[in-house]
Amino acid sequence: MTVTAPPPVDDAGPDSRPAPVPPRPRRRHRVGRVTKAGPLTYVLLVLAALVSVFPLYWTAVAGSHTNAEIAATPPPFLPDADLFTNIGRAMDEAPIALALVNTVVVAGCITVGTVLCCTLAGFAFAKLRFRGNKVLLGLVIGTMMVPTQLAIIPLFLLIAELEWVNQLQAVVLPTLVTAFGVFFMRQYLSSALPDELLEAGRMDGASTTRIFWSIVVPVARPAMAVLAMLTFLTAWNDFFWPLIALTSDNPTVQVALAGLGGGYVPDRAVIMAGTLIGTLPILVVFTVLGRHIVGGIMQGAVKG
Amino acid sequence: MTIASDEPQVASIAAPSVLPGKRRRTSRLTRNRWGYAYVAPFFVLFACFSLYPFLYTAWISLHDVDLGDVDGAQWVGLANYSDLLSNEFFWNAARNTLTIGVLSTVPQLAMALGLAHLLNYSLRGRTFFRVAMLLPYATSIAAATLVFGQLFGRDYGLINAGLEAVGFDRVDWEGGSWSSQLAISVIVIWRWTGYNALIYLAAMQAIPEDLYEAAALDGASKWKQFLHVTVPGLRPTILFTIVVSTIGAVQLFGEPLLFSGNGTTNGGSSNQYQTLGLLMYDQGWTNFHLGQAAATAWAMFLIILVVVGGWALLARCRARAER
Amino acid sequence: MSTVTFAQATRVYPKSDRPAVDALDLHIGDGEFLVLVGPSGCGKSTSLRMLAGLEEVDSGAVLIGDRDVTDLPPKSRDIAMVFQNYALYPHMTVEANMGFALKLAGVGRAETARRVAEAAKILDLEDYLHRRPKALSGGQRQRVAMGRAIVRDPQVFLMDEPLSNLDAKLRVQTRTQIARLVQRLGTTTVYVTHDQVEAMTLGDRVAVLRDGVLQQCDAPGVLYDRPANVFVAGFIGSPAMNVVTGPAVEGGVRLGGAVLPVPRDQLARAAAGTGRVTVGFRPEDVQLVGPGAGVPVVVNVVEQLGSDAFLYTKLAAEHTDDVLHPSDVVVRTEPRTAPAQGDQLHITVREGRLHVFDPTTQRRVD
Repeated sequence: MTVTAPPPVDDAGPDSRPAPVPPRPRRRHRVGRVTKAGPLTYVLLVLAALVSVFPLYWTAVAGSHTNAEIAATPPPFLPDADLFTNIGRAMDEAPIALALVNTVVVAGCITVGTVLCCTLAGFAFAKLRFRGNKVLLGLVIGTMMVPTQLAIIPLFLLIAELEWVNQLQAVVLPTLVTAFGVFFMRQYLSSALPDELLEAGRMDGASTTRIFWSIVVPVARPAMAVLAMLTFLTAWNDFFWPLIALTSDNPTVQVALAGLGGGYVPDRAVIMAGTLIGTLPILVVFTVLGRHIVGGIMQGAVKG
Repeated sequence: MTIASDEPQVASIAAPSVLPGKRRRTSRLTRNRWGYAYVAPFFVLFACFSLYPFLYTAWISLHDVDLGDVDGAQWVGLANYSDLLSNEFFWNAARNTLTIGVLSTVPQLAMALGLAHLLNYSLRGRTFFRVAMLLPYATSIAAATLVFGQLFGRDYGLINAGLEAVGFDRVDWEGGSWSSQLAISVIVIWRWTGYNALIYLAAMQAIPEDLYEAAALDGASKWKQFLHVTVPGLRPTILFTIVVSTIGAVQLFGEPLLFSGNGTTNGGSSNQYQTLGLLMYDQGWTNFHLGQAAATAWAMFLIILVVVGGWALLARCRARAER
Repeated sequence: MSTVTFAQATRVYPKSDRPAVDALDLHIGDGEFLVLVGPSGCGKSTSLRMLAGLEEVDSGAVLIGDRDVTDLPPKSRDIAMVFQNYALYPHMTVEANMGFALKLAGVGRAETARRVAEAAKILDLEDYLHRRPKALSGGQRQRVAMGRAIVRDPQVFLMDEPLSNLDAKLRVQTRTQIARLVQRLGTTTVYVTHDQVEAMTLGDRVAVLRDGVLQQCDAPGVLYDRPANVFVAGFIGSPAMNVVTGPAVEGGVRLGGAVLPVPRDQLARAAAGTGRVTVGFRPEDVQLVGPGAGVPVVVNVVEQLGSDAFLYTKLAAEHTDDVLHPSDVVVRTEPRTAPAQGDQLHITVREGRLHVFDPTTQRRVD
C-alpha cells in the first residue's frame, strides 16, 4: 500500500451532519412555547420545595434537642447542641455503625451485580437475535407486576435452609433480580447503540464477547451510571426483605431504624438522631449526584 | 439467470464451478446463540429468587404450614383461600388498602401533574427545584415514616401543635380510622409526588413544540392548550404512573408497620390501618401461619392483575373510542 | 486482491414471501470497481451485506476468489466495509478506530502504528489521530471510515452509500477522491448507492437492481446507450429517457398524429404480440423540425439550466387520443434559442438513437 496522497478534502469546520455517535439525552432549547415563570409559579414551587425538605430538616432539629425541649410550646425550629449525645444514645440502642457498614457492603454488591447482569441482559434483548427473546423479555416485564410478598416466604425458607439468616448475602442475592434494570438498559441500548457499530465490530473481527466489552460497555456507560445510582439508592432504602432476612444484631440501616422506632416507650430524640445518621449518607450522595439522578429518572421515563 | 434483458451478458455472469442446489439455511450468521449466555445470569437469579419462590408460594398456599415446622405441611386444598374470604381481617385489610391507595394515589398524581407543569416553565434555579422535589424519594420508607410518626404525634407532634395554634382541636392521628389512613397517605404522597412530577415533566418535554404553536395559532388559551395538547400527550405516561402507583399501593407495608412506633404488626389497636401487606406479615411472622400468609400474597397478586388489567382495558377502550 | 462471485445468491427475509435478493448472478473482476445501484428497497444493500457476511444467504453461494465464503463469518472473509453512517467507535480515538481490526487480528503494535500512520497520511488525517469522532467534521469522519478500511489491506472493499451523509458539494469532491484512491490501491471494490450520477462516475461497471432482480450489468456508457429494458432506460440518465407506447403502423409508431420511424425488423419483432410498440429516446436526441414533418408537441414548461434548456412538452392536444402512455416528452435545446412556453414544435429523433422495447416484456429489441 504505497500510494501518494490525494488532495485533502476542504471541509475543515465541523458540520451539522448526523453524527455516528449515540444520541445523548437531548437538552432542549425551547424558545417559542416556554414562557418565563411568573411570581406565583415561584411561590408555589418554593412552597413545594419547603414541604419536600422540611421533614428532613425537622429530623435534624428534633435529633439535636432533648425530649423535653421538643415537647415545649412553641417547639424549637433551629438545631441545638444535643445531637451527639442523642446519636450516642441511639448507637447504644441499635448497632448503627455496624448497620452503616453493612448497608454500604450490601448496597455496593447489589449495585455492581445488578448493573453487570442488567447490562448483559439488556444488550442481548436489544441487539442479539435468539430464539425466544421476545417471550423472555415479556417474562421480565411481567415480573415488574409481581408483589415482593409473593416471594418472601419461600425465600425465607430458602435462606433458612442455607443457614444464611442474618448474613448479608441473604440480602444481596435475591435483590440482584431487577426487571426494571434489564428493561432500562434494553431501552437505552436499543436507541443509543446503532446496529452499524456492532456490524463494524464484526467486520473488524471482534467476537461477541469482545464487542460487548470494547464497544457496548463504553456506549452504555451513561445508562450504567444512572442505573447504578438508582440501584444504590433503592438498595440503601430497601426495607421489607432485609427486615425478614436480618435481625437487629446484624442489621442494615433500615432494619436498625425499624428497631429504634420499635421500643414501647419511644424516645423521640433518639429516634430522630438515629434517623438522621441513617439518612445522612444518602442525602450527601444525593446532594452531590442529585442532578444526574434527576436526569436519569427523566431519561428513563421518556424511554420507558 | 435473472438478467431481464434478452441480450446475452456472458461476461458479467458467473459460471460457478459448483452450482449449489437450492437450500434453505437456518440463520446462522445473524442468529446469535450468545444471547442466551448474556441473559443467563439474570435468568439464573430470576429462577432461583423469583420464579421458584412464586411457585413455592402457590404450593404453600394450598397447605397448612407452620413457620416452625415446614416439613409437617398438610394439604388443605383451597381451604386457606376460603378461610381468607371469610376472614374479617382480610376484608378489613383489603378495605384499608383500597382507602389508603385512593387517598394517596389520586392527590399524589394530580399534584405531580401540577408540579410538572410549574417545573416546565423556564425557571431560575431549575436544577435546585428538581433535586429538592426528588429529595423525599431518596429518603427511605423507614426514615420517612419515623419522622412523620413524630410529626403526627398526638401529644407533642408538630402538626397538632400547628392545629392548636390556629384554633383547632388536637387530632389523635394514630388512634382514629380515617385520620390514621390519611396520615399514612400523606407519607406516601410526600415520598412519591416529586418523582412522578419529574416523570410527567420528561413526558411534557417530549411533546413536539409545533403542536403548541398550531394550537396557539388556532386560538387556544394556555388552559385549553394544557387540556388538549399536554394531557393527551401525557396519557400513556399517566397510565404508566397509575399502574406503578397501584402496584405500590397494593403492596403498602413499611409505612403502616412503622407508623405506630411500637413495632406491632396489627396496624393499630383496632387494625384501623392494617394493610394487606402488613396482614400477610402478621400471619406469617407473628402468627406463623405460612399457608395463610401465602394465600394472602397470592390474593394480592391477583388484585394487582385485576386492577392493572382493568386499567389496560380502560385505556384500550378509550383509545378505540377515539379512533 | 481478488474476484467476487455471486452465484444464484438469494435472500428471503423472515416473514416475507418475496425475496429481497432473487438469484443474483454476478461476477466482479479482480481490481474492478463495481457499483450496485437502484431505487430504495431494490436489494442492493442486502446484496452487499450478503457479501459482507452480515446477512444470510438463503440459497446460492457467494465466492471471494475461489473460496466459497457463503457460511463464513465476516472476520474470515478478508474484507473491509465503509458504512453509511461511518460506524466509528465513539469512545476510541481516530488512531484506535483505525487500528482496532489490526489489534484484534494480533498484528504487532509497531506494525499497526505504521499502517495507521500510512493510511492517515494518504487520507490527510495525521493531525486528527488523537481526536474522538465527535470532534471531527462529517468529511473527516468519512475519511476515518475509509482509513479503517484501507489499513486492513483487504481483498475487497465494501462501501454502503458512503457519501450519503455529506452535503452536496463535499459529496462531489469526496467522490473523485474515492475514485482516485481505489484506483491507486487497485483493490476490488463493491459500492452501493441510490444515486445514478455516483454510479455512472465511479463504476467500471454498474449493476442495476430492481425488486431484488438484476436488470443489467455493464459499463456506464453501455448502460446509457443500450439499456436492456424500459426500467434501466428510465433509471439511468437525468432527465430520464422519454418512453412512449403507441400503435405500430407501416414504417413506425404512430405518435400525436404523426409517425415516428422505426426500423422495419425491430418494429415487426416488438409489435408481434400486441400491435403496439414502446419506444424511448433521450432528451438530447430530439431534433426540432419544421411544420409538416415530425410529431407535433406543445411546450408546457421551459427549464433553463444555463448550459442547457429542457422543454417539458405535451403531445399536441387534438391528437392525444392515440397515445397510450405517457404523453409528456422532454426535449433538450440550446439555452439561448429555446422556444417559449405555449409554442408548438415538431420533433423527430436523431438517426439511430431510438430505443425500441417490446411493450409486453419491456425488453430491448435490436
